[in-house]
Amino acid sequence: MEKKRIGIIGGGISGTCLGYHLSLYDNAEVIVFEKDTIGGASTAKSAGTVCLFDDSLNNRYWDVRLYGFESYLKMEQEEKGSAGFDKTGTLVVATDEKVESVIKTGIALTQAAGYTGEYITDKDRIKEILPDISTENILGAGYTLDDGYFDGTMISNTYAKKLQKNGGAVKTGVKVTEVKMEDKKINGLTTSEGESYEFDYVVDCTGPWSKFTGELVDLEVPLWHTKAEAFFLSPPGKKLDYTFPVLKYPAFYALRAGDNIFICKSHLSMDLNNPMHAGQWDPDKLPATGGTDDYFIDFLLDQLEMRVPGIVDSGLVSSWLSYRAEPKDFLPILGETPIEGYILATGYGGNGVIEAPAASRDLAKLIMRGESTPLLEDWAFKRLL
Amino acid sequence: MKIAVLIKHVPVSNDVSVDPETHALIRANSEGMINPSDLNAIEEAMVLKEKTGGHVTVFTMGPPDAEKSLRDAMAMGCDDSCLITDRCVAGGDTIATAKVLAAGVKRYGGFDLILGGALSSDGATGQVGAMVAEYLSIPHISEISSIDYNDNMTGKLEAVKKYQSDNFKIRTELPALITVCFGANNPRLATLRTKRAAKSKPLKTYTNQDLKLPLDKIGLAGSPTVVIDSSTPEIQRKAEIITGTPADAAKAIRALIQKEEGKE
Repeated sequence: MEKKRIGIIGGGISGTCLGYHLSLYDNAEVIVFEKDTIGGASTAKSAGTVCLFDDSLNNRYWDVRLYGFESYLKMEQEEKGSAGFDKTGTLVVATDEKVESVIKTGIALTQAAGYTGEYITDKDRIKEILPDISTENILGAGYTLDDGYFDGTMISNTYAKKLQKNGGAVKTGVKVTEVKMEDKKINGLTTSEGESYEFDYVVDCTGPWSKFTGELVDLEVPLWHTKAEAFFLSPPGKKLDYTFPVLKYPAFYALRAGDNIFICKSHLSMDLNNPMHAGQWDPDKLPATGGTDDYFIDFLLDQLEMRVPGIVDSGLVSSWLSYRAEPKDFLPILGETPIEGYILATGYGGNGVIEAPAASRDLAKLIMRGESTPLLEDWAFKRLL
Repeated sequence: MKIAVLIKHVPVSNDVSVDPETHALIRANSEGMINPSDLNAIEEAMVLKEKTGGHVTVFTMGPPDAEKSLRDAMAMGCDDSCLITDRCVAGGDTIATAKVLAAGVKRYGGFDLILGGALSSDGATGQVGAMVAEYLSIPHISEISSIDYNDNMTGKLEAVKKYQSDNFKIRTELPALITVCFGANNPRLATLRTKRAAKSKPLKTYTNQDLKLPLDKIGLAGSPTVVIDSSTPEIQRKAEIITGTPADAAKAIRALIQKEEGKE
């Protein structure tokens, strides 16, 4: 069987997950190049919520969500803790009829897949689940006990371990400095260590760095950065006496992080035309902590006073800023580009942990067998041209 | 009680480099935060404010972006703030810095107590607090772990200072300056509400036009300290895991010891 040599740039959730799915093919030779540590950059700042139903990904792609969720459950079954699962359940709040309709469809899909899910209109019941919530001005809430959030860094490292077990290689602390081409076709890459490699395919899995990675092959990757600004809150009284579920509103989401609460503005509420929300920046210049904008404090205070007043007087433990990589339609860019052999698996925005397993499964099939899938057709680079 | 807290806007650790020419820290590109032990000083000030119904003003000397740390301090409960910023005060050593801070505190005026952190995370000299007290001609107690004050102690205050395994209770007349050890208390956290309120709390800015200090006594020109060299310590620690049976491990350890002895 003819070998196919694939070099993957980026060792986050996108790169390691694709590397693992490629390593399942006997004739794949895979090397992942990561300039820092596995799952240590934007993946580490992902909330890792993989909920059975919410508005983070259109219900049209519900199977993508389910495949991701079940991939991580399987990972946890194989080795407990390897996906960092915290089974808190999810509460998705219906603020209007449109959101309510999306939640109800998601619940029907969840139940059809054999999981629990219910739409609750009894406001006392909603307050039993989340005592700090305000039930004023809401129609109801979708609730499941079966899901929660995962740890993107743990998952990336588990995928890296599994792909190495399957014969693949992972090189950390190694930056790709050149992508080599001949006759407009990719034939390898060079690293910061001066090593040269020959590849049939090079895959850009660098997420927020993709704009810069694309410059190595003179490809303009149509991505914008949206700001993911997050706070860690210490609830009044220091410790919650109930299980704080993943809490989803159209404008923000929250989840527990130890005794604290992680809270972030949702990526679909970001406006690519608002310079406070979006732009094109250098992710290498992001500070390790801090960096949030003043408007975010006003935004969160207004939201919490209205939505979850019980935690509005929480202490601010820490904060950070991350960049999500978003095309104009907020969906990933997967597959072939005008440069033969140069593949994209980027632009997951805030949804890398949810979408990477299904996207990688299909992309591996495309690379190894030349077979496309409906998902790859939907998320192809050519849709943005 | 009218309290001043002196804080330092320090680089977030791991985010700083050293100028190869001057050997000074390059702070321009690094994210700043309140020096950790200054948070303990602010907390002591907050406790005293609650006991005495006092007023807390926070001071810092630094570049304009040090306003962030002043706003953070006001989000913790300080009432107002003063930023001393001027190109001519930049690059000062502990003496030059203390002169500027003392002049700023004196111009603002009327403080019963001045607090500060015992050490900065970037310089760690622990000298500035005591120097400010000397320039203001007031008593000082350094590196305290707690402060005791009650209504019967008018014009006085007690602080506990740890020295080796003993605690010393030291009483001072006010006004005085006290520096607080890192970890002396649990600094309160700002909330979203206090963060928002801090944005509109008063911030006064002083330049040297206000302080009128001689230019040869402040900043780099007024600093007798000369840094001849600086370097990053070379980490030579290394570890080796010895595996096998206890007997094999013992042989391996003996061989290692002999090898090390042979080096001498």
